[in-house]
Amino acid sequence: MPEHQISMVLDLNKCLGCQTCTMACKKLWTDGDGMDYMYWNNVETRPGQGYPRNWDKIGGGFEDGKLRPSEIPTKEDYGQTFEYNYAERLFQGGPQAMPQEEVRNTPNWDEDVGAMTLGENYYFYLPRLCNHCTNPACLEACPRKAIYKRAEDGIVLVDQERCEGYRYCVRACPYKKIYFNELLGKAQKCIFCYPRIENSEANACARQCPGRLRFVGFLDDPTSAVHKLVHVYKVALGLFPEKGTAPNVFYVPPFNPPRRGSYGKSVLEDPRMPMDYLQYLFGGEVIDVIRRLEGELQRAQNGSKSEVLQLLIGRDDQVRYQIPKHGDLIQLPGGRKA
Amino acid sequence: MNNRREFLKLGALAALGASIPGCRKAETPALESFTGPLDPLHAYPYRGWEDLYRKQWTWDKVVRSTHSANCTGSCSWNVYVRNGVMIREEQAGDYPRISADLPDYNPRGCQKGACFTEYVYGPQRLRSPLIRAGERGEGKWRKATWDEALTLIAGKLLDNIYNYGPDTNTYFSVIPAMSPVSFCAGSRLAHYTGGVFCSFYDWYCDLPPGEPLTWGVQTESCECADWFNSKYIVLWGSNISQTRIPDAHFAWEARYNGAKVVGISPDFNSSMIHADLFLAIQPGTDAALALGVAKYIVDHNLYDAPYVKEQTDLALLVDKRTSRFVRPPNVNDVFFFQDAKTGKRHEAPGSMGSKEKTIALQGADPDLHYSDGEVTTVFELLRQKLAPYTLESVAETTGLALNDIRQFAHEFATRKPAMIIHGAGTNHWFHNDLINRSLILLVALSGNTGKNGGGFNHYVGQERVWPERGFRAYAFPEGVKKQRMQNMTLWTYTHSSNHDPHLYNGKPIEHYIDESVKNGWMPLYPKNRQQKPRALIVWRANYLNQAKGNEYILKSLWKDLDLIVDLNYRMDTTALHSDVVLPAASYYEKSDISSTDCHSYIHPFNKVLEPLYESKPDWEIFRDLARKMSQIAGERKLAPYHDEQFGWDRDFTKTYDAWSANGRFQQAEDGANFIMDGSPETKGMTFEQLKQHPQRFLKIDEEAWNSDIREGQAYTPFQHQVENKRPWRTLTGRQQFYLDHPWFLDFGEQLPVHKEPLGESAKYPFFWNTPHGRWSIHSTWRDARYQLRLQRGIPIVYMHPDDAKERHIQDNDWVKVFNDNGAFVSKVQILPGEKRKRLTMYHGWERYLGFLQGGWQSPTVIKIKPTQLVGGYGHVNFRLNYWGPTGNNRDARVDIVKYTPTAADLRTIRRAGKEQA
Ligand code: SF4
Ligand code: SF4
Ligand code: SF4
Repeated sequence: MPEHQISMVLDLNKCLGCQTCTMACKKLWTDGDGMDYMYWNNVETRPGQGYPRNWDKIGGGFEDGKLRPSEIPTKEDYGQTFEYNYAERLFQGGPQAMPQEEVRNTPNWDEDVGAMTLGENYYFYLPRLCNHCTNPACLEACPRKAIYKRAEDGIVLVDQERCEGYRYCVRACPYKKIYFNELLGKAQKCIFCYPRIENSEANACARQCPGRLRFVGFLDDPTSAVHKLVHVYKVALGLFPEKGTAPNVFYVPPFNPPRRGSYGKSVLEDPRMPMDYLQYLFGGEVIDVIRRLEGELQRAQNGSKSEVLQLLIGRDDQVRYQIPKHGDLIQLPGGRKA
Repeated sequence: MNNRREFLKLGALAALGASIPGCRKAETPALESFTGPLDPLHAYPYRGWEDLYRKQWTWDKVVRSTHSANCTGSCSWNVYVRNGVMIREEQAGDYPRISADLPDYNPRGCQKGACFTEYVYGPQRLRSPLIRAGERGEGKWRKATWDEALTLIAGKLLDNIYNYGPDTNTYFSVIPAMSPVSFCAGSRLAHYTGGVFCSFYDWYCDLPPGEPLTWGVQTESCECADWFNSKYIVLWGSNISQTRIPDAHFAWEARYNGAKVVGISPDFNSSMIHADLFLAIQPGTDAALALGVAKYIVDHNLYDAPYVKEQTDLALLVDKRTSRFVRPPNVNDVFFFQDAKTGKRHEAPGSMGSKEKTIALQGADPDLHYSDGEVTTVFELLRQKLAPYTLESVAETTGLALNDIRQFAHEFATRKPAMIIHGAGTNHWFHNDLINRSLILLVALSGNTGKNGGGFNHYVGQERVWPERGFRAYAFPEGVKKQRMQNMTLWTYTHSSNHDPHLYNGKPIEHYIDESVKNGWMPLYPKNRQQKPRALIVWRANYLNQAKGNEYILKSLWKDLDLIVDLNYRMDTTALHSDVVLPAASYYEKSDISSTDCHSYIHPFNKVLEPLYESKPDWEIFRDLARKMSQIAGERKLAPYHDEQFGWDRDFTKTYDAWSANGRFQQAEDGANFIMDGSPETKGMTFEQLKQHPQRFLKIDEEAWNSDIREGQAYTPFQHQVENKRPWRTLTGRQQFYLDHPWFLDFGEQLPVHKEPLGESAKYPFFWNTPHGRWSIHSTWRDARYQLRLQRGIPIVYMHPDDAKERHIQDNDWVKVFNDNGAFVSKVQILPGEKRKRLTMYHGWERYLGFLQGGWQSPTVIKIKPTQLVGGYGHVNFRLNYWGPTGNNRDARVDIVKYTPTAADLRTIRRAGKEQA
């Protein structure tokens, strides 16, 4: 167990699907060689195929305490990374600009598609990053022991010097949030922006999110928003809890509006988005959370103040982030931080 | 094998290090030095490598700038430079907080702004002046020097002036608010050389014509922080999660603060998913829904009577026989109501002809319901007009459930404050004015306009130049009356083969255009109808790509022009189809200022680096062009040109002197400071100050705006009228719902009414819908690789699954979309949230990218609404970007078939893209 655990809560009812987080992370961390196809942070429309395609269906994580590795997704599952013939088309009289290959899949291929029930569409956006799990399957799977969990903040990292590129971690992660850099022969993944966190600066995906839906702090800090949302108000849940990795990224589950003609009814009574689907993603507890949130929303809309919703408003970044300087946080045995 | 792995490992680390300038390989702890079992879940000894990523988050300098793409965002960003390269950008995130209650504006930005650096170094970037070497649009160029290019342009502009008249030179640039100094650089040249300056806000159909008609303003909306003050937010044709990315949070946060959010849209889009109530309306029936709600409000006496009596024209008397307002004999601008207190007719204070400069009723009580044999009130006429809009009939027209609209009507009337957030979804219809007026009626009846958290708030385009007075003085120094101003819709329609086959009250649109021009209601250049436009200069815009009636324009206007010049940082469709392309500095390589409707701050563009390659800021390009014109005029010994229209003897040897105000304007910052100094909003601020952080406006110019900036409060318009009782800027001095201009009477549009979308042709069953989306700001970022990789790489048209099944079309098929105006070939995506019998493609795709044929504007034709040609009626007069016909395009209908690529297509698909860009 780490001494402290950094964590993120994402309120899915504020997510715009704008991918600013994706772009922020890409420009900061995965703009380098061999990283084109990697999106440490991605946003996918749910229900949907996800990124990489079908990641939620192929396995990974633990079953009865044992690793259940999956196949490694193919390149196309992750999405193509095409270039264009602009120079030729625009400056040399060349043919129509096109991607260099016919496009069959991208990380956001089924954006805004979702699914239908009784002729009506439902969907929501699910931003995803590494969960910096308490029981990381990737770490467990690494024969080289090159993946570790930092004692001071629980961030899970792949040692870029010691990694040998065996890819057991890719198979093991149930969220497929660890990637293989072919060019470098290394596994790479979200680093929870530790250089920023160490300087009390929120992660790029959080700090740049115009939807202002990400809360960052230490789960074991009772004054933090993440602690309150997860443990006090109990409105945030991990993704696929049954996969056994104990994720540390949590979600306030989504609502869709009522179906046609059902305005005024509870989303539990006559949901546009089937509750089964939410249970599939967030486990059985999600029903209680939705009930709680619906009650709070009604209270607010009837003119009272809801404490938890006031927190979720997140008026400024001081409300959303509580990230003490690492130096102040702890001195740990064997840690490098001096 | 072992060796190879060792090599790979070394290579890998070297590569990682190499990709991070300044990164030294971290010190490797000796593995051997660690003894004992390795348990990385609890402790890990080899952490020295972690500096690798720490070094990646370093930079040499940070400079603040922003983007000028007409997104309405006006977001302040920091650009990070390492080793002389702009590596990334991150929102500055330092807009000062308005109050402790309101959520702040940080971090304003979107995914496009987060990768503008891609463009700065991208393959589309223009590096040197180019002169066309092939056909227009072919993409064959000859590199030119600045001197050669400017000599060509300056010479040609002068030739045109002396041979054909100055009004054959045409200038087009959009949205001064997003970078006014760059805008003014060109407008000043047009001004001093007699060129025609074209509008954009009406042409792009972003102008809500109902606002000038009802309120006598261009567009007046609250800043977005004010959404948080609302208790009922109606997203009406506005997909804020996609098109207002920096501001959408205010709506979703307002919901947590007690607001209900209603979404009205045909499709279940990204904003609808978060709404409390989603109304999947039939396209083009928005006015019917609004009028149904209006009827509900009137029938149930839920209207705010004191507000309506004082703030609107609903109590004014109308002559039953003529349908015109009751006026004193031979007076046009004085009106009456019946005073319920005295039972006498009472002059309505505050109209254009009234001696009173207030609308305060001073004890009078206008009778909304007065009627006798001869006169009645606007309110009573409205009540009659509303009679057909029962909730049942509205449910029928709109396809909505009766239960939903009844609750909507009741909540709208009773939850306060209530606001409508209005967007292009509804504004791009032919009858946009009627839709606007119907919606504005709702917020007026319920007394919401002019109050924090309430009103009709339209956000499409960044038209609001807060420091307006200084801007006007810099843009058109001798005054707007000495500038040839042109509504672009009319100009493009007239000078291209666009032809609207509709008859309006039995007459073609040409009849109304002639009348309007003859009456002096709308200008049309060149004035001499024998002349054609000769030169077109475009900057900060992508005229050709975005123009309705694209196919017609390419075949006519584009052939007739003899000089097309484009200033740009990238080769967009207009640049590609130009004769001379001038490389402009990107948003990160120039100085300018930025403001928007969405917030109440001003902040700068800065030179993060000096302009790359041979590019120059637009400001310097126009400066050099002015110089070049003076030089050539001198060399040619040109006598001053007598410009008859203005009685202005134009001495072109002095063009540069005039342009630079005799050397007063030496650099772009001087222009910025001049604009700020000349405007009450910014007086006292300096460009240097803006570099620190965005500054909130100090006061407002009462001539330009309708509310004060108040400390601790979000800006919302019309407090001057509602609180201070200042007259509205209309003929009647009130929010004017009744327009008794003869053309409005002829078309039965004196009051808001629902009219069906124009059926373009029974042959074509699908509405053609081209809304604004998340992945581009108009055409900007349409071709950006990082954006495209998160879409499907090329243009996509969306289609409902049932429609697709009927036509045997599958996801990712090639399809052809067509009508009599034109056709395009793109890919299709099946989208369950799309409305049946409608096809959608988010707008702005460049013609040169991904289409196998045509472009998204190929199926459109310009259609002008006769009543939008009206002028000479009180507050309804032509004014650039304030009033003039809109270039609507929502009414277009198309059909779709599966398309099988030809052998030539396949060659294009496969051959293209091979090169690493
Ligand atoms: S940046 Fe924020 S709002 Fe946008 S997609 Fe990411 S999480 Fe959602
Ligand atoms: S999400 Fe996957 S990669 Fe991240 S810590 Fe958990 S198991 Fe490892
Ligand atoms: S925390 Fe940092 S590294 Fe991880 S997804 Fe977010 S931006 Fe990327």
